[in-house]
Amino acid sequence: MSGRGFRRRLRSWGRRQLYSFFSSLGALLSHRLGTLMTSLVLGIAMLLPLSLFVTVTNLHGLDLQQEDWGTVTVFMQPGVDEQQVLELAARIEQQQAAEVVAVSPEQGLQEFQQSSGFGQAMDLFEENPLPWVLQVTQPSMAAGSIEDRVGAMSAWLGQQQGVDSVQVDFKWLQRLAGLLALGDAIVTVLTVLFSLAVVAVVANTIRLDVANRAHEIEVLHLVGASNGFVRQPFLYLGFWYGVLGALLALILLGLCMAYLARPLEQLLDAYGNTFEFVGLGASGGLLVLLAGGALGLLGAWVSVQRYLHRFELAGPGARG
Amino acid sequence: MITFEHVSKRYPGGIAALQDVSFHLDAGEMVFLTGHSGAGKSTLLRLILMLERATRGQVIVDGRNLCTTPSRFAPQVRRRIGMIFQDHKLLSDKSVFDNVALPLMIAGMRYPDIRKRVRAALDKVGLLSKEKSWPLTLSGGEQQRVGIARAIVGMPPVLLADEPTGNLDPALSRDLFRLFRQLNEQGVTVLIASHDLALIRRMGQRVLVLAQGRLVDDIAPADIAGEAP
Repeated sequence: MSGRGFRRRLRSWGRRQLYSFFSSLGALLSHRLGTLMTSLVLGIAMLLPLSLFVTVTNLHGLDLQQEDWGTVTVFMQPGVDEQQVLELAARIEQQQAAEVVAVSPEQGLQEFQQSSGFGQAMDLFEENPLPWVLQVTQPSMAAGSIEDRVGAMSAWLGQQQGVDSVQVDFKWLQRLAGLLALGDAIVTVLTVLFSLAVVAVVANTIRLDVANRAHEIEVLHLVGASNGFVRQPFLYLGFWYGVLGALLALILLGLCMAYLARPLEQLLDAYGNTFEFVGLGASGGLLVLLAGGALGLLGAWVSVQRYLHRFELAGPGARG
Repeated sequence: MITFEHVSKRYPGGIAALQDVSFHLDAGEMVFLTGHSGAGKSTLLRLILMLERATRGQVIVDGRNLCTTPSRFAPQVRRRIGMIFQDHKLLSDKSVFDNVALPLMIAGMRYPDIRKRVRAALDKVGLLSKEKSWPLTLSGGEQQRVGIARAIVGMPPVLLADEPTGNLDPALSRDLFRLFRQLNEQGVTVLIASHDLALIRRMGQRVLVLAQGRLVDDIAPADIAGEAP
């Protein structure tokens, strides 16, 4: 094929695309209410996973003051004397490179009486029931994840002589991390499910559209339109539905966030947390629009392909 | 231009629409196809348009054997054939201009060229003044002429018509056939299915007669003229 011939075919292809593009826009605009309804259904379907995603992302971003949670409390067995405790503290500082604060039973009793309000209850005991306690904190700059470091250290501490039990506040953090991981998984599941819903809604809408325009499709076939030419406007239509749905989802998400931002900030301020509600951002929004368009395109493809297949003439080999 | 060799068409369910039909149309011929309804006229036209496939035999149009042509080439085959339908098959939500322009849009032609060709085609059928009208506002005869403009706008070498005068009064039918003859004189091969025997006789062209799916007669123009009306 000569270069000129190729260019000519490319240009006529471009003109056909342009025709399909405008004819699909015309179809959208001629049924404004129907378009809006379909887009709204798609938008809400997309909003659910998106809003959960934003929620989980914001939870991930919360400043939970993890270093405080990394402190491990070691309770010594009753009867262990100061000498042994200080030896252990020195050993911990050496081997685990951690900061150790030793709290004697007397100090502990004092703190308890001051802070708990149960001070008088302690007078009932003939002798101080509290054991020696070591508070072990690892420096925040250490390598590895906090879970691994604290996990390894608390295991090591548990094996030392004279140690009764090791309490890891960090467990709570681990549980929270578990919940967040679950949230991530739910986002994934919802994204898959609602993507399917978007494809199904678009496919069904396009199917009805195809049925409504069966006469037009027949005429197009009769005057020599290829399947591609018949398919094209419907694919564009699906794409537009997807993009409009995504746009509505983003707008709804923005409204929800604007509505929730203030009460959330107030709540977290009360916990002494500085917090900024983070949305999807420009690139995230663009990605959502593209994904919506792609899903719409897929739905339209599924629908039109089935229809054209039914319309198609049997192949030359298949003589009935 | 069009050759049928022992063509049979049997629809699922065993109804034989065509049986062992053979004929040949030269390029530039004008031929009528007649017979009672159900004789197989429409099926024959549908085979030429690749809307159906022959069960047996060969259909050769413009040098291409349609029985061995894959379906994906059907649009190419149809673009070289202008087809006129009894029910016009116009799109009611598009203007007359856009209806006629459809085959050229499909071919991806430049808009200025489309304009020129559509206006020329509308001029030929005498509807240039109606290019902005909507099909439903036109009379039956005018709608039929829009269908003809659409069929000839792509300048196809073959023109097929399925009962084009079906809903028209005799005067309009005569005008229509005169238009077909003009097109034929410009070199287009024309095949018209019609049961309007009186009109066919007056046209004095070759006639193929179908009865119950068989080609029972192939009358030369000279014999038509001699027959009593």
